[in-house]
Amino acid sequence: MIELKNLTKKYDEFLAVDHLNLRIETGEFFGLLGPNGAGKTTTIGMMSTLLLPTEGEVLIDGEPLTRQNARLKRKISLITQEYSMRQDMTMDEIMEYQGRLYYMPKKKIRERSEELLEFCGLIDYRRRTVRKLSGGMKRKLMVCRALLTEPEILLLDEPTAGMDALARRQMWNLLKKLNGQKLTILLTTHYMEEAESLCGRVAMMLEGKLEEADTPRHMIDVLGRYAVDQTTEDGIESRFFEKREDAIAYLSGLSGESALRNTTLEDVFVRRAAN
Amino acid sequence: MGIVTVLWEKWVEFRRDFYKITLAAMIAPLMYILVFGLGVQTFSHGESYLEFLIPGVVALTTMNGSFNAIAQNLNVQRLYEKAFDQVMISPTPLWQFVAGQIIGGSLRGVYAGSVIILLILPIGTGLRFTGWSFLIMFLNGAVFSTIGLVVSFIATNHADVPRFSNYVIMPMSYLCNTFFSTDSMPNGLRQVVGALPLSQTSSMLRAIAAGEAWSYTGILVLLIYLLVFGAATSWFLYKKKNL
Repeated sequence: MIELKNLTKKYDEFLAVDHLNLRIETGEFFGLLGPNGAGKTTTIGMMSTLLLPTEGEVLIDGEPLTRQNARLKRKISLITQEYSMRQDMTMDEIMEYQGRLYYMPKKKIRERSEELLEFCGLIDYRRRTVRKLSGGMKRKLMVCRALLTEPEILLLDEPTAGMDALARRQMWNLLKKLNGQKLTILLTTHYMEEAESLCGRVAMMLEGKLEEADTPRHMIDVLGRYAVDQTTEDGIESRFFEKREDAIAYLSGLSGESALRNTTLEDVFVRRAAN
Repeated sequence: MGIVTVLWEKWVEFRRDFYKITLAAMIAPLMYILVFGLGVQTFSHGESYLEFLIPGVVALTTMNGSFNAIAQNLNVQRLYEKAFDQVMISPTPLWQFVAGQIIGGSLRGVYAGSVIILLILPIGTGLRFTGWSFLIMFLNGAVFSTIGLVVSFIATNHADVPRFSNYVIMPMSYLCNTFFSTDSMPNGLRQVVGALPLSQTSSMLRAIAAGEAWSYTGILVLLIYLLVFGAATSWFLYKKKNL
């Protein structure tokens, strides 16, 4: 279980994360959503000890996470938003370096690396340096590296950014499978569709503050399950309805271009971000 | 164990860039020896200038080898490749990472210095390099590897490390008892420059090479530098909130 207690991060006078309180249960798939600059990456930074909080703490199974706590750090893997690998190392070297940093036996590093690289379709490129890999391959390698150490907690900071649609779907399937094996996952993403599809609970972060966490389904229900989009001179305006009949009744009264559709998590996000 | 991991990483790097590293370690020192030692044949303090110069060049080569092996590399890993993030979040104790970097950097310095010692063998200078010489080279390398760590943690962009080299490492290369004795410097400046780690290293290597008595104080001075910069590195790793 992960607990964030009054987690705060200040950069000089700028309050990036503002007294954040959150509890993520073991085996949960949790989504942290928010616009650029909301404080998501800073939060993940503190949850992985890359950044130290100005105030508050991160608890893993009730124990404070610090840079010195090797036992807790062993449980966590992080996939950062940017590529975070030595460009001059080969895939095999990247994996071996990671395994060594986590004190894995050599034999296990070799076996698990092969298994993961094979699974992600990278095995044929294992002797290629990172510099020569495509963006998608680098992302997959980062996933392989993160999973090599068999973490209990996986922190994902926009893991599918820059991936094509097919690679993104493959990644979703992999993450679902991992979560099925009781891996606790925290995901930050800009893709609402991704959060809706993967996360059991999500929370919106706006200007460093965290709004109440809920299931995507319930958030949508609260806004209204049906949306009517109307194209106006100012752009598209959406109205939300709890009942389909109400939405249809409203739609029939409209002139011009309009459409009925299901409300999505993106609608919830846009509505909250605009307020 | 973490130390071995860092040394393994350094070994991978060394094995891959062996020729580049070796050539880079050779060129500038060889030029100094060729131009100032063999080209301009002069005498200093009653001895061949070449014999005065070589220990100083070995000392500065050790310094450059160690500093460059750590500072630039770690700066790129931290600011651009972000590969350092994975070290920070890993369970490898950060002090072991630091120790590994210092040992790895020192070995690179000793390697660079040894290449120069090997290359001057055919000249037959009669200079002696003993186990003490290599220990001093290692210590000098350790000091400058640690300085390299501090500089790479302070750096906020790619240009900061070369800038530090320009303002600190390069002047030290020329002034610290390498090309001429600090004895000829004005009072005040002499004491300051004389207390710098490279001056101490040059002085000790030169005395050993000439078969003269030398003071262990220099080793103590190097150890003090190592402790101070080592403490600064630990502070950055354990206490700095946004590394």
